[in-house]
Amino acid sequence: MLLQGTLDLLILRTLIFGPEHGQGIARNIQETSADELLVEHGALYPALQRLEAQGWIAAEWGTSENNRKARFYTLTKAGRKQLLKETTKWRRLAAAIGRIVGPETENG
Amino acid sequence: MFRKRRKTSDFDAEIEAHLQLEADRLQAEGMSEADARMAARRAFGNRTLARERFYESRHWRWWDVLAQDIRFGLRMMARNPVSSIVAILILAVGIGANTAIFSMLDALLFRELPVRQPQQLSLFGQGQEAGTETDLPNRSWQLFSYPFYREFQQRNTAFSSIAAIDSIQLLLHGRVGSDSKVEKLGVELVSGTYFQTLGVKPLLGAAFNKTDDRVPGGAPIAVASYAWWHRRLRNDSAAIGTKVTIGSTVYSIIGIAPRGFFGMTVGRSPNLWIPLAMEKQISPGWNGSGLRKKWVQSLYIVGRRRPGVSVREASANTNLLFKQILREYVGPHPSPRQLQEIRHARIDLRSAATGLSPIRHQYSRLLKILMAVVALVLLIACANIANLLLARAAARRRELATRMSVGAGRWRLIRQLLIESALLGLAGAGLGIALTWEASRLLLRMVSDTPGQPLPLRVTLDGHVLGFTLAITMLTVLLFGMAPAFYATRLDLFSSLKEGRGMTAGRGRNRLARGLIVGQIALSLALLVASGLFLHSLVNLLNVHTGFNKQNVLLTSIDSGGAGYKPSARLENMMEQVEKRVGSLPGIQGGSFVLSVFDRGSWMSGISVPGRAKSQTDPEVDENIVGPEYFEAMKMPIVLGRSLAPSDNAAAPPVAVINQTMARAYFPGVSPLGRTFSVHSLKDWASLGEDGRPWQNIRVVGVVKDAKYTSLKEKQMPAAFYPHAQHNGPFFLYHFVARVSGNPRAAIPEIRKAIHAADPHLMVGDFATLAEVVDSSVHNQQLIAQLSTVFGIAAAFLACIGLYGVLSHNIARRTNEFGIRMALGAERRDVLWMVLGGALRLILVGVGIGLVLALACSRMIASSLFGLSAYDPAILLLASLAMTGTALLAAYLPARRATRIDPMAALKYE
Repeated sequence: MLLQGTLDLLILRTLIFGPEHGQGIARNIQETSADELLVEHGALYPALQRLEAQGWIAAEWGTSENNRKARFYTLTKAGRKQLLKETTKWRRLAAAIGRIVGPETENG
Repeated sequence: MFRKRRKTSDFDAEIEAHLQLEADRLQAEGMSEADARMAARRAFGNRTLARERFYESRHWRWWDVLAQDIRFGLRMMARNPVSSIVAILILAVGIGANTAIFSMLDALLFRELPVRQPQQLSLFGQGQEAGTETDLPNRSWQLFSYPFYREFQQRNTAFSSIAAIDSIQLLLHGRVGSDSKVEKLGVELVSGTYFQTLGVKPLLGAAFNKTDDRVPGGAPIAVASYAWWHRRLRNDSAAIGTKVTIGSTVYSIIGIAPRGFFGMTVGRSPNLWIPLAMEKQISPGWNGSGLRKKWVQSLYIVGRRRPGVSVREASANTNLLFKQILREYVGPHPSPRQLQEIRHARIDLRSAATGLSPIRHQYSRLLKILMAVVALVLLIACANIANLLLARAAARRRELATRMSVGAGRWRLIRQLLIESALLGLAGAGLGIALTWEASRLLLRMVSDTPGQPLPLRVTLDGHVLGFTLAITMLTVLLFGMAPAFYATRLDLFSSLKEGRGMTAGRGRNRLARGLIVGQIALSLALLVASGLFLHSLVNLLNVHTGFNKQNVLLTSIDSGGAGYKPSARLENMMEQVEKRVGSLPGIQGGSFVLSVFDRGSWMSGISVPGRAKSQTDPEVDENIVGPEYFEAMKMPIVLGRSLAPSDNAAAPPVAVINQTMARAYFPGVSPLGRTFSVHSLKDWASLGEDGRPWQNIRVVGVVKDAKYTSLKEKQMPAAFYPHAQHNGPFFLYHFVARVSGNPRAAIPEIRKAIHAADPHLMVGDFATLAEVVDSSVHNQQLIAQLSTVFGIAAAFLACIGLYGVLSHNIARRTNEFGIRMALGAERRDVLWMVLGGALRLILVGVGIGLVLALACSRMIASSLFGLSAYDPAILLLASLAMTGTALLAAYLPARRATRIDPMAALKYE
């Protein structure tokens, strides 16, 4: 199960490269995290919904590369700011967790 | 920003598009179309769940989150059952006690009478005085005569109906039905318009009608109160027509008042209402002689304003008519003084919606003090719970940090923590309300000064009271929940996660916890000071030198009017007989009828001494009428001249024994013996139809030592005592005292027998010792002293528990540090002093603030204290020492634990 804060961060990060639809985002996350993080595509949508409600991303129906109708998400200005904030926080957290868990070699 | 709401169909389309795109992709990777579609579905997971989430996000999001928080809160409570239960119990007691006291205050001060449109009712005057006024007061009038009431009723235009109520509620003795047993009956005399004016419909039978008060002695009927009907007549619906015999008159019950209607007077409930026409029959003495006299004013008047008539209009109208009537009363040739008095006389209208009550003031102050005390205890309890939650929050810092790191907002967490607090608060309030019911009943019993008889107040849980409970619950939740919630969520993720159970104490928590301890100690000290002051004041009161010996004096009442006596030689003869028979019983040193006894009312009047210029500052004299054995029974020593004697009878010239203060005030520098004075305030004595001669040229035959006559708090008053043989006038001497050697209770049957030997029809009331009467006169002070002491100790105890908890927690955290210190050579004593020193600093700061607080608050209770200043230094010192001492003791236990730390174990522990 993926943690909520992390998923938000990953979505925002994916959108930094330009508008993308849900399926594209899911694929992207899966690929960049070496297939480890996302378990179900469906879990993505409530997160998208929430981010949209917070005004960090905006959505619009458009046409995909292969001419299918799809809902495209773009990062808003507020979203960009949020991404920056989340990223620093995440880096520090990752470091802290790393310290608590400790190097794998030690017994513990 | 306003965003258009997304439709569900749009969301469905998006999911459809997602599946299509995924299938396209998989097909491009080489899957068959059917396989690709299936794989896309599988990768998507639970589609219904996604839709549900979407739906919830639109509709139920806030509710869902709230429910989630509540569930989580309940889980957290269940995880710490002991501390949760303790917190809930403390809150329940605090909230329950506050609610109970508030509900009584509400009933006493704010509750509207259960009558039709109470807002339309206006009371003439304040409704605080009770008694009889025979003057023409040149101020706001409080009491009115019956002729005035009738005159006003006929001529006024502002009120649709007015009613009169006797200001004196009578406690009589009578027989119910064919029962031969004499029982007590509380009777209120009212005008025939009483029930109609109030708009109170009888539960059963009929109420009085307008003309029932017109013909003296012409309406031997009564309406019974619901409570009396319920208790005495067992709810019998055939009770209408029941006969009640009071004196020589038989009354028939014509109706039962509705439940919850206790009359106009809050906190005083009669058993029977009887028309004013029966005044002479009900109360043939002092009161009953004057109902038809225009200057004998003893009634309250209440009116129902006509619809559309404002209070201002009604007031103007009332005062205009009032002065017209007064002018007619003084006749065509008024004296300049009478004109002057009429000019200053007025009637102040006051809303009667909440009823009238001579006792309201007395009890409301008591209740307000109690409420302040209980509120302080609740505040201290809140601080304790805050500390508890703070410790809990500290233990949860890692959990909260983790939750924040994965995206939970700070507000969400604060809300979550406040909801946990609110759950505690609501559980406490729920239990508290359950307690309130019992607590109110207990309070009504405790507050009432007649043992075993609760104050008749309608205390119910209504919107007012529940609103109050909810308000204080929310307040307490915010008080104890806010600080921990903010503290717990003010996180620096990095350091909290790292911190764990390290060596450094959470600085923020510590400061907050210490602040709470200081606050608790300060508040407890203020309470201890208050209870010390109340206790000392009570001791002062009980040590007041009464001037009479209250031990072994029995007091009872003899209702001669009820036995059919009229002011006559026959009455006097009976009184002498009773006194003689009781006085000659073995072990009895004297029995005497008496007009006024301690704490049961008095008669004050001005006097004039021939040859002495009158002055405005002449003190009024407390007048009493007694039997010859009175001073002997009370052990009031005669210091000059002689006592009253049986020879001072109606045939002899009028005499009096006066007290030392009166001798000093009215006969300065000379011996008062043989000098004369007149009681002059009864200038309308003649209008009472009595002979005023015995009240002129009264010769002083003796001087008795000063004493207290009405209350322990009174300033020394001049007093005069007259023999009843010479004043067989309109007075019925209702009280009887006798001095008993040995056990007073054992003598009661003998005394009863002796009284009945004089006349078997005499009704004898309950017996009490004078000591009991004196003690019950300070009942309220006693109650305040006791309760504030109990609460003060409880508060100090709570504060000590708080201190103990915080120190224990700190020492557990610093085990490591202490271990190192001791390993480096610190003595156990050093560690002990280090911990105690820290605690002492907290305690002293708390005591300092508490003293300032106590001094600031003392002014409010100064008026309730007797014989000491609110700034009594001994009590301030004593309370401070007690608080410091107990708090140090609470600190010593954890400090000693710190000294027992084994350095090696402590160092290995991490």
